[in-house]
Amino acid sequence: MKTARRRINNRERTLLLMLAPIVLFVAAVSLYPLLNAFALSLTEYKLTDPNQTRTFIGFQNYIDAFNDPAVTETLLNTGVFVVGSVVSQVLLGMALAVLMSAESRFMRIVRGLAVIPMAIPPLVVGLVWKALLNGDFGPVAYYLKLIGINPPRGFLGELNLALPTIILIDLWQWTPLLMVIFLAGLKSLPTEINEAAYVDGASRWQAFTRITLPMLAPIIFIGVLLRTMNAFKIFDVIYVSTGGGPGNATAVLNFYIYKVGLTFFDMGYAAALANILLVMIGVCCAVYIILLERQKNSNS
Amino acid sequence: MRISKFEHYSRNIIVLAVLTFFLLPIVWLLTTAFKLPRDLITVPPVWLGFTPSLVNFDFAINKVNALRFIGNSVIISGGTTIASLVLGTLGGYAVARSRLKIVSISSYFFLVLLMIPPVAMLVPFYLLMRDLQLLGTHAAVIILDTCYNAPFVVWLMSRYFASVPAELEEAALVDGTSPFGAFLSVMLPLSIPGLVAAALYCIIFSWNDFIFALLLTNPATKTIPLGIMATFSVSNLSWGNMAALSVFAVLPVLIIAVVLNKYFVQGMTAGATKG
Repeated sequence: MKTARRRINNRERTLLLMLAPIVLFVAAVSLYPLLNAFALSLTEYKLTDPNQTRTFIGFQNYIDAFNDPAVTETLLNTGVFVVGSVVSQVLLGMALAVLMSAESRFMRIVRGLAVIPMAIPPLVVGLVWKALLNGDFGPVAYYLKLIGINPPRGFLGELNLALPTIILIDLWQWTPLLMVIFLAGLKSLPTEINEAAYVDGASRWQAFTRITLPMLAPIIFIGVLLRTMNAFKIFDVIYVSTGGGPGNATAVLNFYIYKVGLTFFDMGYAAALANILLVMIGVCCAVYIILLERQKNSNS
Repeated sequence: MRISKFEHYSRNIIVLAVLTFFLLPIVWLLTTAFKLPRDLITVPPVWLGFTPSLVNFDFAINKVNALRFIGNSVIISGGTTIASLVLGTLGGYAVARSRLKIVSISSYFFLVLLMIPPVAMLVPFYLLMRDLQLLGTHAAVIILDTCYNAPFVVWLMSRYFASVPAELEEAALVDGTSPFGAFLSVMLPLSIPGLVAAALYCIIFSWNDFIFALLLTNPATKTIPLGIMATFSVSNLSWGNMAALSVFAVLPVLIIAVVLNKYFVQGMTAGATKG
């Protein structure tokens, strides 16, 4: 008994030692900057200031943020982008998962190829779509012109079209992710229940909406949250395709933080904006973890 | 339920149309890289009927020194992947096997870290690297990429280890193997598929990373996405040159996604599905 306990203790000690390197590394690299970011957000600190002075100004940066029209605009853009891209990708991803769920050689090859977009560097994705939509020579713009769609300033140059175009680019890159997540979900469902429903005279649409969708609900929620949190992170595509323009039409909060911090070098204000974004993400994160925990418990 | 022939064919046609949407931009990129300037701006667009040329690759390799960008990308991806796998696999095993509550809860701590947008941390990260005098080094980018990748590896590997029956290593422990020895000799060999998925994720993440490289590299340590961007912002660059440079950035990840498809998908979906 005593040796058994010693063995467990010995084992737990080894496990703690195995966990220590990453905890120390991550704490050193991220916790210090995170705390530093909070301290920084309470100061006025311009990197361009030759004396590098940091003046404590309390919550002034946060108050400024609430009065900054650009913050309101970029928050609104963030909301439109996140909701627009997540909703469109979930709907399309689900449709594709159902379409491609059949087991055949053809479908296996299709499924393998359809995931390619999510491997491509987002920066290249932004560049390629910028070229494809170019009004002078872009092939996609050319075909759309043939069917009468020809915005005078181009898809990324029109105030009302630029953000939807960014949503479309994001849809191109990330719908495959939801598709494979939903495919995994579909594969895990028992088929007997649907068969029984067909015997009872249910249509396929009825079986899908009344049986399949409810059973997939947990994985749909997780897919939605995963994409939501990643949608908040969009940067590369906007950086290269529009630079946040025209005006601020495609500047999401994430992009505005970059602009304030690393093009205006207003570090204190950028840190305050970053903290506001972190709180928003924190809420999504909490929901995500609660759901994951529930899924884990229901499976074990 | 059996479906009719009509439905079978119409479904396949829709699927092919969708696949075209997902693949056409990549086909455009790969073909544009081989086009002469005169074939770039033809109206209507030419997809395949042009004379292929290597002039853009000549520009990429000899004029903008793409090989140096690639070298930097290889160093940064390689360093990040190795560091993340070592840190993450050790931590993931601890999370999967420890009975201490604090250890199993720490997996959520790692998950939370993953959700923080890199942009929100740019200012403090920049100041940190400036104070450590690491600005412009490969190490700075490797450290930050690892900070985002290693917690993911913990998450993925802990779920993977948890799915391997514990009896196997307990047998080794009873035989007198040390706990760490049991991990090395029993668990690691059984977990190679999980390690491959984790490694591919790290390679792709760090290879594709733009924002940390933008923040921290200098002209000598620019990675390939930075190289594309730097060359692109210089005036009178043709899209052909851009495409050739981009091919270098896309080819490795494209090969991973197609050839190691199963592991690639496992790594990408690890946040949503079980081990």
